[in-house]
Amino acid sequence: MMAFFSCGKENAKEAVKKKEIVTVITVNYPLYFFADRIGGDLISLQYIIPADVDPAYWNPNEEELSLYQSADIILANGANYAKWMENVSLPSSRIVNTSASFKDELLPLKNVASHNHGPEGEHQHKGVAFTTWLDFDLAIEQAEVIKDILIKKLPKEKLVLDENFENLREDLERLGKKMIDVTLQLKDINVLGSHPVYQYLSKSYNLNIRSVHFEPDVFPSNEQWRELETIVDRSKENLMLWEGHPNKKTENRFHELNIDILVFNPCENMPAKGDFLNVMKDNIDRIAK
Amino acid sequence: MKESFYLAIKYLVFYKFRTLVLVLSIGLILFLPIGLQRLIVESEEQMLLRADATPLVIGAKGSSTDLVINTLYFEQEEIEPIKLLKVEELNSTELGYAIPILSVFKARGFPIVGTDLDYFSFRNLTLNDGRNLQYVGECVLGSEVAKKLDLSVGDALVSSPENFIDLAGIYPLKMKIVGVLKVSNTPDDTAVFTDLKTNWIIMGLGHGHQDLQKIEDPTLILKRDSSRVTTSSKVFMFNEINAENLDSFHFHGSLEEYPITSILFVPNDVKSATILRGRFGAKEMEEQIAVPSDVVENLLQTIFRIKRIFNMVFTLVGIATLIIIGLIVVLTLRLRKEELFTMFTIGSSRYKTMEIIGFELILMIVLSGTIASVLYGFTGFFIEDFIRQFII
Amino acid sequence: MITLENIFFRYPDSDFKLEVDRLAFNSGSKTAIIGTSGYGKTTMLNLIAGIILPVSGDVIIEQNKISAFSDKNRRDFRIQNIGFIFQDFKLISYLNVMDNILLPFRINSTLQIKRETKQSVAELAEELGIADKLKKFPSKLSHGEKQRVAICRALLNQPSIILADEPTGNLDPENKKKIMDILFSAVEKYNATLITVTHDHDMLKGFEKIIDFKDFQKL
Repeated sequence: MMAFFSCGKENAKEAVKKKEIVTVITVNYPLYFFADRIGGDLISLQYIIPADVDPAYWNPNEEELSLYQSADIILANGANYAKWMENVSLPSSRIVNTSASFKDELLPLKNVASHNHGPEGEHQHKGVAFTTWLDFDLAIEQAEVIKDILIKKLPKEKLVLDENFENLREDLERLGKKMIDVTLQLKDINVLGSHPVYQYLSKSYNLNIRSVHFEPDVFPSNEQWRELETIVDRSKENLMLWEGHPNKKTENRFHELNIDILVFNPCENMPAKGDFLNVMKDNIDRIAK
Repeated sequence: MKESFYLAIKYLVFYKFRTLVLVLSIGLILFLPIGLQRLIVESEEQMLLRADATPLVIGAKGSSTDLVINTLYFEQEEIEPIKLLKVEELNSTELGYAIPILSVFKARGFPIVGTDLDYFSFRNLTLNDGRNLQYVGECVLGSEVAKKLDLSVGDALVSSPENFIDLAGIYPLKMKIVGVLKVSNTPDDTAVFTDLKTNWIIMGLGHGHQDLQKIEDPTLILKRDSSRVTTSSKVFMFNEINAENLDSFHFHGSLEEYPITSILFVPNDVKSATILRGRFGAKEMEEQIAVPSDVVENLLQTIFRIKRIFNMVFTLVGIATLIIIGLIVVLTLRLRKEELFTMFTIGSSRYKTMEIIGFELILMIVLSGTIASVLYGFTGFFIEDFIRQFII
Repeated sequence: MITLENIFFRYPDSDFKLEVDRLAFNSGSKTAIIGTSGYGKTTMLNLIAGIILPVSGDVIIEQNKISAFSDKNRRDFRIQNIGFIFQDFKLISYLNVMDNILLPFRINSTLQIKRETKQSVAELAEELGIADKLKKFPSKLSHGEKQRVAICRALLNQPSIILADEPTGNLDPENKKKIMDILFSAVEKYNATLITVTHDHDMLKGFEKIIDFKDFQKL
């Protein structure tokens, strides 16, 4: 099986070679980050998702899929993240659904385009929001699942794994606390989402975010602008969260509409620089400003 | 004695047709019971081998024999399905891991077995050609399937439609062959392996179609608004999955509720197996757990009883045949009275004459025994195929 | 010298009886016994050969009272000393000519097949004009050829007594003469006593003595 890595990140460490090697692969960056923080040198961690795609909608090719198939642990997000997993063959005993423990708390998607065949009834697509890691308490739960599975695979390393997890938990809790503080500032602001990816952020920090389907690099259509008007609250200050900075034209139009723009990167994929914590910290700093 | 042997051979060779008939008849009579014995013994061994290699099987309550036969030998007996949810439940017990099996359809006479990749590693199945399953719509063939249907990697295999009338239900799916397994000398050689999801697509629980948001033909749309499209049943469902339409394939509802026929459970150890079996003893459990080796041994006990009956029948037939052969020998001696008298008059003793006749009989018995042995030896070449084809 | 003295013989479950006061054959003589069928000529040959035993009386061959021998000794004596040419040849259908000729050597351990035995077969067969028939089976032979095979079998061991029962039956005159010449030649060669039973009066020339059996058969 040939090795296939993207983003130049080298994960095979010398120390691993001397011990039993547990290969781990993930479906998005946050899980990769958690596994790396917890497993560190003890595991052979792979991240093969190209930098320029949204991991939720990425489709691995045959070579990439075979890397998933051969991994000892496949960390899945759950909540129907990574639709490609529905149509491929994976060894189910090695898939770890990191959100299984809180599946009852998953947030349903609203206003999802669905379809049904024939008039007999509606067949809703699986409509749950999947950016669970934006609720840092849920992120901690997902990390704990990763810790548990790694302990099962490497029982002798329990102490190290526990310690690593605790460190990560503290970092995430710190982030969570900061998030609570800064989002207090938004309580009188109508927070909008450029894309329906902020559900867990919205719920856990009481932001009541309503979203449209805008892309940062695409100027919205007239219909889309009309849709935006339906969620703008002219009695309040409006702020739209974007996954990436919108293009100039869009930005100007937002300025005209008196809607503020704030980039809040959900960090689904590996950042060009820094790590998950850095990205979230930057998000929080931007809100604070 | 050498001369008597010589004369005996001369007699048998001269009357070769008669000799052949007698020798073949006796040979067959000798072979049948030992051949059957071998068939039964080897069938037992094969069945037990397969059963012993499968720790536990879980399925809907009902006949444990049908459940085990379906799961181990893919005989596709009618059994109630259970839900995929059960797999997750079993995995969460941390007593081992569960492998789902869905085996209800056939493709050109061979059972389609829907499962996941764990099955291949559990059964130590390796590839002779191609690769293992990756995408829905693909299949991996057992060695016998590829050989009998003359198919190889890159070819296609269409699932056999259950019911031509049931247009809204199961329909044939053209599956792409991506791999062929090495010979395993197990029922896996005669199976067509797919992912579970491919089986569900055949069932009609999953499908792919053109993007409904982009449909122009008004006759296909019953109702449309900004959030929902209702189509008529006329919309074309893909019956083949390829790179172009893979993304369009989807399943309605929760996969956990989808049906499977059984689960192979691989416990961590004996204690885990015992604990799990104990849990299934509770009345509220909707499923049953079966230990394949126990079920197959019970089944074989029945076969063993039948074997005794067969042996009795063969013994009786054998005795009858021997009596007939004895009669033939006696009648032949009567016919040869003059020849024997000639020998006597020339100078042969009664003992010498008996010696010649005795050698004839011994030679026939030896030849019959040889034929029986050769047939017995030949069965060794074909018996495994025979057992796989007709017994398991 | 072959002598039958006070012979009384009967077959079980049969009315036939044979009774001879005295009948003698000199060594080296050629005797033809004639008479109508049913008088017991063949029976008499069988008595001389020791194939059957008289109820009473003696069969003496060169001071050997063979009628008093055990079965085994009679058989051994017969096979070593007597060449019997049967009326119906008595060839074994599943043996070829060579094997039929060698039959006496295979069924009695007093005779052994040696290299020279097969050589003798070849020579004798050549003499009898059947050398090219050695691999053939009796079903493929003519009447005359079968007769010669029977003679070859009887003469192979150079017997001192040759008993021939109707040796020329059903043969054409040319073959009859050939057969008789062979027999007479064997008598000279082996210094044998020839006793021939025949009802073929054309073949009586050459015999030293002709006996009408009804003169001896009392019953």
